[in-house]
Formats: sequence, C-alpha cells, structure tokens
Amino acid sequence: MNRRNLFTSLVRASQRGGGALDAAPMVQAGLEPYTTPLTLEDVFHLYRRLGFSVSMPVATTHVGKQAADVVEELLGEDDPGDPTPDMVFAKWRDPATQLMVDYTENPQGADLQTRLAIEGWWKGNHRSFSNWWLATMYRDARAVERLTLFWMSHWCTEFSFDETYMVPQMHYRHYRMMRKNRLGNFPSMALDVTVDNAMVFYLGGTYNEVGKPNENYGRELLELFTTGIGWYTEGDVKEAARVLTGWKASRFNDQPAPKGIYNTWFDANKHDTGAKEFLGVTIPARTVDNNTEFQVLNEEVFELIKIIFRVRPDAAARFIARKAYLYFVYSSKGDVDESFVNDLAAEFRAANFDIKPMLKKLFTSQHFFDPALRGAQIKTPVEYVVGLQRQFGVEELDPQIWVLDMDQIMLDPPNVAGWPGHHTWISTNTYPRRREFARKLIDAMTDARANAFIREFADYEDVAKFVLAVTRFLLPVDVSQARLDFYKSALLEGQPDYTWAEKLEVPSAAARAMRELLKAIAKAPDFQLC
Amino acid sequence: MKRRTFLSTTAAAAVGTQVLGGVPLKAFSPFDLGEHVQADDDRILIVIQMFGGNDGMNMIIPADDPEYYKIRPSIAVPKEKAINVLSRVYMHPSLDAKAPYNLKRMFEDGRLAIVNGIGYEAPSLSHFRSTDIWLSGFNSSDPNKRLVDGWLGRYWSNKINGFPEVLPPDPIAVQIGGSLSMLLQSPKGDIGIALTDPQKFFELGQGLSPDMDPMPEDTRYGREFNFVRLVAEQSDRYSTVVKNAFDKGENKTTYDDTNFVKQMKLVARLISGGLKTKIYLVYMGGFDTHVQQQDENLNGLHPYLLEKLSTGIGTFMQDALIQGFADRVVGMTVSEFGRRPYENGSRGTDHGAASVQFVWGNGVRAGVYGEMPDLQNFDSNGDLRYQWDYRRVYADVLENWFGGTPEDTEGVLEDKVLPLGVLQRATSVDDAYAGKVHVDVKVMPQPMRDHSVLEWYQSVPGLVNVEIYGSEGRFLQTLYTDRVVPGTIRVPVRGIASGSYICTVTVNGARTVVPLTVVR
Repeated sequence: MNRRNLFTSLVRASQRGGGALDAAPMVQAGLEPYTTPLTLEDVFHLYRRLGFSVSMPVATTHVGKQAADVVEELLGEDDPGDPTPDMVFAKWRDPATQLMVDYTENPQGADLQTRLAIEGWWKGNHRSFSNWWLATMYRDARAVERLTLFWMSHWCTEFSFDETYMVPQMHYRHYRMMRKNRLGNFPSMALDVTVDNAMVFYLGGTYNEVGKPNENYGRELLELFTTGIGWYTEGDVKEAARVLTGWKASRFNDQPAPKGIYNTWFDANKHDTGAKEFLGVTIPARTVDNNTEFQVLNEEVFELIKIIFRVRPDAAARFIARKAYLYFVYSSKGDVDESFVNDLAAEFRAANFDIKPMLKKLFTSQHFFDPALRGAQIKTPVEYVVGLQRQFGVEELDPQIWVLDMDQIMLDPPNVAGWPGHHTWISTNTYPRRREFARKLIDAMTDARANAFIREFADYEDVAKFVLAVTRFLLPVDVSQARLDFYKSALLEGQPDYTWAEKLEVPSAAARAMRELLKAIAKAPDFQLC
Repeated sequence: MKRRTFLSTTAAAAVGTQVLGGVPLKAFSPFDLGEHVQADDDRILIVIQMFGGNDGMNMIIPADDPEYYKIRPSIAVPKEKAINVLSRVYMHPSLDAKAPYNLKRMFEDGRLAIVNGIGYEAPSLSHFRSTDIWLSGFNSSDPNKRLVDGWLGRYWSNKINGFPEVLPPDPIAVQIGGSLSMLLQSPKGDIGIALTDPQKFFELGQGLSPDMDPMPEDTRYGREFNFVRLVAEQSDRYSTVVKNAFDKGENKTTYDDTNFVKQMKLVARLISGGLKTKIYLVYMGGFDTHVQQQDENLNGLHPYLLEKLSTGIGTFMQDALIQGFADRVVGMTVSEFGRRPYENGSRGTDHGAASVQFVWGNGVRAGVYGEMPDLQNFDSNGDLRYQWDYRRVYADVLENWFGGTPEDTEGVLEDKVLPLGVLQRATSVDDAYAGKVHVDVKVMPQPMRDHSVLEWYQSVPGLVNVEIYGSEGRFLQTLYTDRVVPGTIRVPVRGIASGSYICTVTVNGARTVVPLTVVR
C-alpha cells in the first residue's frame, strides 16, 4: 500500500495537462488475483471489456466460477484455426461470373474506367471483409476477434490512405497474421509485422533503399509500436531506417514477386550493408556473401527488434501495458494508474514479453474488478454495434455501415496512430447515430424474440426485479431508485404493477412493453458506457 | 474622449520593421490603422487543420536560393514555374488555383499573411505529439505531460458564464465532420459540436436529450456519464439551431465538389444563415508526403492539396465578400510540422520542423512575416530552424481578434506569449475608461551596448510592467513592475547579451511593443 501511495504522489503532479480535472480517485486494488466467485455483474463486466458483451443465457453459466477459469476460457490455449473456407479473402467472387478469382491487376497506368473498376472492386471487397469480420465477432464465443482487433488497432494499417488503397487480399493476410500472434510473444509479433507485406507497403518500407532511406516505418516502430516517445534519438530513427532497407511489398501482377504475389521479398541490392549504430548497439556491416534474406532477417531485422527489448525493456513493457490499460480498463490518458501499469509491465517483462500471461494477470486482477473502474469506458463503435446485437439477440446484416457512421471505419483508422479513442468516440456527429442504431435494433426484435428475451431473466414475473435485472444487464453501474421507477413506468406504459402479469400473457403486448423499456434505457448517457 | 485616441500601435507596428528583414511589404503599413475593427462579439475564426505535416518549403518557395535546388533535385519547383509574389518570395503555382478567387490573388489584394518559419523549441517529429502540441497550445518537451484539451476550448469555456451547465443559444464551435478535436475540448467539457450534414443532424438530433441531471464528478463513471450527457444535450439543442441557419443561409458563388472545398461551402452557408458560432474547424488530411509528393510536371499529392486549399479559401472569401460578412472572418492554417529540407529517396520528404502558416481575411495585416528559410543553417537534426513561436498567432487571435487580454493569453497558454501582430487589433471604448493607454516608448541609445534607458510619457496613473522577449516571441525576463504616477517614466536596461529582442511596456493592461537590439 505504501508503495502505491508514494508512487501516486509522484506521478500525479506531472500527469495532466494544464487546467484539466483532478485525477480520478485512486483505486487501491492492484494486481492481486481476484478470487471472489463471480457474480452476474462481474461476468457482464468481464465480457464487456474482454469480449463484445454477452447474452444473458451465456452469462448465467459463469456465475460462481473463478475469474481465472473464465478468463482462461476466453483467452484460450489453442489456435482457433483459420476462418471457414468460404470466408477466405485470398480470392474474391466475381459478381458477374460467380467465379472465384484473384484480381491482381495494377490500376496505375490503366485507363480511367479500368482503374475505377479495380478500385470499386477493392472497395466492395473491403466492405465484405468488414461485414464478415463484424459477423465473426458477433459469433465469437471467446476473445479471439476482440484481441485481434486490439492488436490491429495497435499495429495500424489503413484500407485507404494517401491516394491509394490497401489491396484487401493483402489486408486479409495481414489480419490473419495478427490473429495468429494475438496471444504469443510480442517481439516475434513485431518481427512478423515488420516484414509483413501490408505493413511494408503501408509505411513506405517498400521505398526504403540504400542511399534513399524512408524513415516512416523506422520511426513508427519506435514511437507508436514499441517504446513510445522519449526513448530514442532522431539518429536512432535514421539508423533503424537503414537496417530496414531492401524489403519489398508485392501488390500487383506486373511487379516482381519472387515469393508469390502478396508476399514480401528481399532485394539484396537495395539493402544498406554498412554498419549501423542503433540505441547504442552496433549492427556490423555485412559483405555481399552474407547479404541474404535469411541472414538480414535474423541478424539485422530481428536483431533490431531484440535490441529494442534488450536496451529499453522497461520502456517497451510499460508502453504496451499502458496501451492495454487504456484499451481494456480506462481510456482517459490523464488517468492511467501508473503504479498498476508498472506492476503489469514488470509481469510482462518477467514473462519474456509473452502476451497471454500479461493479459491474464490484467483480467484476473482485483484492480480490473474494482467497482471504481466499472462504467468508465465509452463503448467503441465496434463494441457498441456488436455488443447490442449480442445483448438483444438480433443480428444486423450490414453492420459496417453503422460502425462507419459512428466514425470507425473497419480496417481503416484515421492514421497510423489508430483511433484516438475515449471522448473522440462520442460527438454530436456520432451520438445521434448511436441512438438511431439502438432504436433500429430494438424495432427489429420480433414479438417472439422480445418474449424470449424477457424470459431469459430469472425473475421476470416480478416487475420490479425484472426492471432491475434488465438495467444491470444493459447498464454498467446500478442506477437510482428514481430511474428504476421511471423505467418501470416506461415498461408498464404508466399503468400499475399488476398489469405486467396481464401483458405477459399477450405476446404482442409484452413485446411492445419490452421495446418501450429498452428504448427508455437506450436514451440514458450510461447506455454508451461499459 | 474619442475611442480613436486610444487605438493601439500594436505589436506588429513596432516589431514589423525589425522582423521583416529584407522583404519589402505590400499592403503593410504599420501605422495605418484606418481599417481597425470594433471588438464586436460576432467575430469568427476558421481553423484549417492540415494533418500530416505540410511541406512549407514547397508551398512558399525559396526559388532564389540555389541551395534549394541542390537539396531537392527531383521535387523542387523550378524558378520559372514558381510564382514570384514579392521580392524573394515565390508561391507554388498550385496556389494560383483555377477558382473564382484564390490565395495568390488574396495575397495581391492584401488578404493573406504568410508567416515563414513558424515552429517551436525542441520540435517533436511525431505527428501525434506535435499535433497535440499545436492544438493544446502547450509546448511541452516532457512526453509524460498529457495534453488533453485545446487552447480555444480553454479560452471559450472560461468566457461563457455558467458553462457547461448553461449552454449558449448557438454552439461556440462547429467542427465539420469527424470526432470533436482536442482543439475544442476543455476541462469543463466540449465547447463545440461536430456535424457533417445539417439536415441529417436535424433529423437525428431531435429529442435526444436524456432529460437527466449531471452526476457528481467524483467517480470515473460520473465524469464519463456527464461527458455523454453534455453531447446528448448539445445534439438535441443545436440540431435545430444549425438547421435554421442552414436553411436561411446561402452560397453566392460556385464551389467545386471536393471534400475540403465543400466543407468551406458549408461554413459559408452557416455564417450566411446567421449562426453565432465563433470558431469553425475544417480538416484536410494527406500532407504526410513521404512518397511521390510531386512529379516533374508538378503534379502529385502535395500540389493537389495546395490547389484545394487555395480553391477552398479563395471561393469562401469570394462568397464572404459578395455576402458582406468578409470583415467578420479570419482564418488560419495549422499543421503539425514542415518537412525535412532534403528530399528522401522516394520523391518525397520525411518529417521536419519549422514550416509556413497562412493567416487570411480582411482583418489581417497582409504581407510576409519572417525570412525565407536559411538552408545553410539547420538544427541538429538537419531541419529548418523556427523564427516564430507557433503560439504567437494564437495570441493574436485571443487579443487582437477575440478581444482578450494579455492575461487571458497567459492563462490559456500558461506562458507569456506576444501576438505576432498579424491581426488588426480590436479596441473598445472600455479600454479608455480603464486607463489602458498605449505609450510612445523611446530606447536610448539604440542599438544598446552595455545599457540603455526606456523612456515614455504617460498621462494616467497605473500599473506598469516592462518585459523582454526573444525575437521569436518567447518570454525571457521582467525588467520592471510598479505603480507609477503620471509623468515621464524612465526604466534602465542593462546586462543583456547581444541579439535582437522585443521589449514590451504594459500600462494598465495595454501593451506597447518596441524592438531592442543589443550589440556588445
């Protein structure tokens, strides 16, 4: 306890920008394991943060279990396998012929009509990919997609940027690589990303050649992906760029693709073979003989990454741990619990930067389950859209358009830093869309679905208990009695309690009442929180 | 007493001759205050954010400098294609956009100020950190200092009585598209709204008020609840106000159909419809030109963006002139940094430091501020050195446009920052009654060696404060502060290293600026 208090006083002074609110009250609980058997509210909380919310029937099965067991189940050991074959975006179904084709033509230099056709094709594929992914999230019983989304928000790539597009076939392969790495070793993931075809294209690596360095990826590797600002010099950025020279992306059938289309390859002639001095460590010069893909990959690129984690282990561990904290616990950048992040970072480092043990510590900690942190997160558009479908048990067929309206284009963050999160998720531009989406889903509940929904709650026949249970299911923190009374009157349309039994006997009446209640709850500011 | 008696001689007036070096100025007469504007409350600022880091050196071209062609062999703008607008000052031809009106013509007509060498000490080359530094108005080299709100957000949230419990009838700020920028956030909540389509905003915004009171702020949940609640209230209330202005407003010129230009069109229409919004924020992305920024025919992403910038501002300005609200609007560009002076290997440029800022409108003191970049003298990273602290135009906006005081500027920026003088100062009758007088300060001798004396006569008693700033506008030291009786005041100056400085004499809050040159 003393350590935490001491630390708090040290960091508070420097944490916030001028004039901001005082930091939120300290949460005393730290990384100690949470061993209380899970209540229903605990299960909701866990799934809101680590999953995309949870249906009532699934939540009920976890009550009374240990957090460690449920978290293990959500994270999982096994490889989830690749998605089902008809969802493989390596090939696309040609709408005209219904044949599966690889569409690899280069639109640059083509006539306008061809170029627009190709780009239109990509856009269509990007939309299908987005909808497919959102549907996969909706069906994901574990945290596979949730974690993949987290890492794809960390190692950002964009579908549309500058004046060009990420070919969706490349993007899909990139997604699959992230998914495979989601629980693995962070430095290995970093290596995979660094030579990933999509990333080599996206951050200009493909233009990074000896004598003509392009610093884009070298800078972001340090600034955004591993240590954060303050742990390297501009000279280190330049040296990193030199190390990374020679990797080429393969995008089109008119470009060299020695390893097959959409696979990165190494052009030894474009690699800078001179010695490099990165973070105080020398990467020796090489001769023509050992300037091979295998050797450069291991002795320079992987070495570069290993140097980061060897020379700046604490900075890197803290940077990733803080990112996880912002994403899963509380997004307010001025309110990160630095003491907790330090402890989590120490665990991450001790586990040799393996991701799974670090996440498991986080999600089974007393800190994570502390009441003071519940309801503090603003639901991201994806969480909101996927989560509401799950909670209501209604599937939206074109979810990507809703997510887009709420200012999160799937696979297409605004820039390489990803979505800024927190308050940027809610504005007068997007809040009305959120309300509209909730209304639409609620109206889409059939009478049968609404009646089934009611009966998912154990005490549904007792109107007061039922209203309380529904608010706890949909809102993150218990609400006042006045609000409960208001919601009950919305459900009963102002009539006395005993009319609830009568409504229950008439499915259309019960369904209408249910929709009224849901709409009333969806109006509340905390409906956007989790 | 007549208001005119108390018109300021302004920072620009005194500093201008010093800083402009060899660049003769058109439409710039330090003592021509004929066009001063009353500090009305209907003044509007348009902020154009150019995300990605705009290549200032390929926008205002140092075409007389042979070094430019050496360091940019494939992407330099040839001298014969650059547009010479003033001695040694050239524009990228894309700024002479084929539009009803454009930035080149605005410069010729005295409606554009070009601020060379805008930047800050110890520049960050990170898009994100540097954008935060620009939008927050805090230049913090400490990466652990969290920058969470904006300089305009802080200023206006304190100016509006009772905010956020009381919302003004019209939104203080309107951002076109996207999620609300840090610029418009404040510790008390967002001061503005974001909208893309007024019609949609109206249709969806009706009845969104949650009809709930705010929560206590002592929990994380309570704070976030209040944040969402305020946005919901603003959506509900402002959807009607904006729709009414949109329906009433009109455009009287033809805008082209590209994203940025359409944003400027919408802003013009909302102003035309009488929306009492103080700040509009519009956004252009794509300036991160690492790759293929320009080909040999001067086509490419960067020229395209410059052409759109010029078209958007020019078309808007023409609309504003036709409709008669041009005097009420000024605009400024912000971009997180310029590019590296040397081109990279991909016909592009990597992240750099100092760049060029545009300030435009009838209310600007048009001309070129600062020298063309010195291509022989880079900083330790090989980037352009800055000549002006980036917050100097902010201080102009606060003091000379929105009618704030130096104390407001210091409160908002947590630093003493001098206006650059790029905007014409608003004055009011109240100033006279408050004894805010501008005085005629003499520096004897000038240039100074070991010591000099500042001397002026003042007709009113009051609080006098004398300060020294670096030529880029950063506060250095206070020389003198005391209450004085009317008469001739003399303040000795000594012990200052060689260099160019700005000296300020503030009497009851009214600031007079004189240059000070020290040669030892």
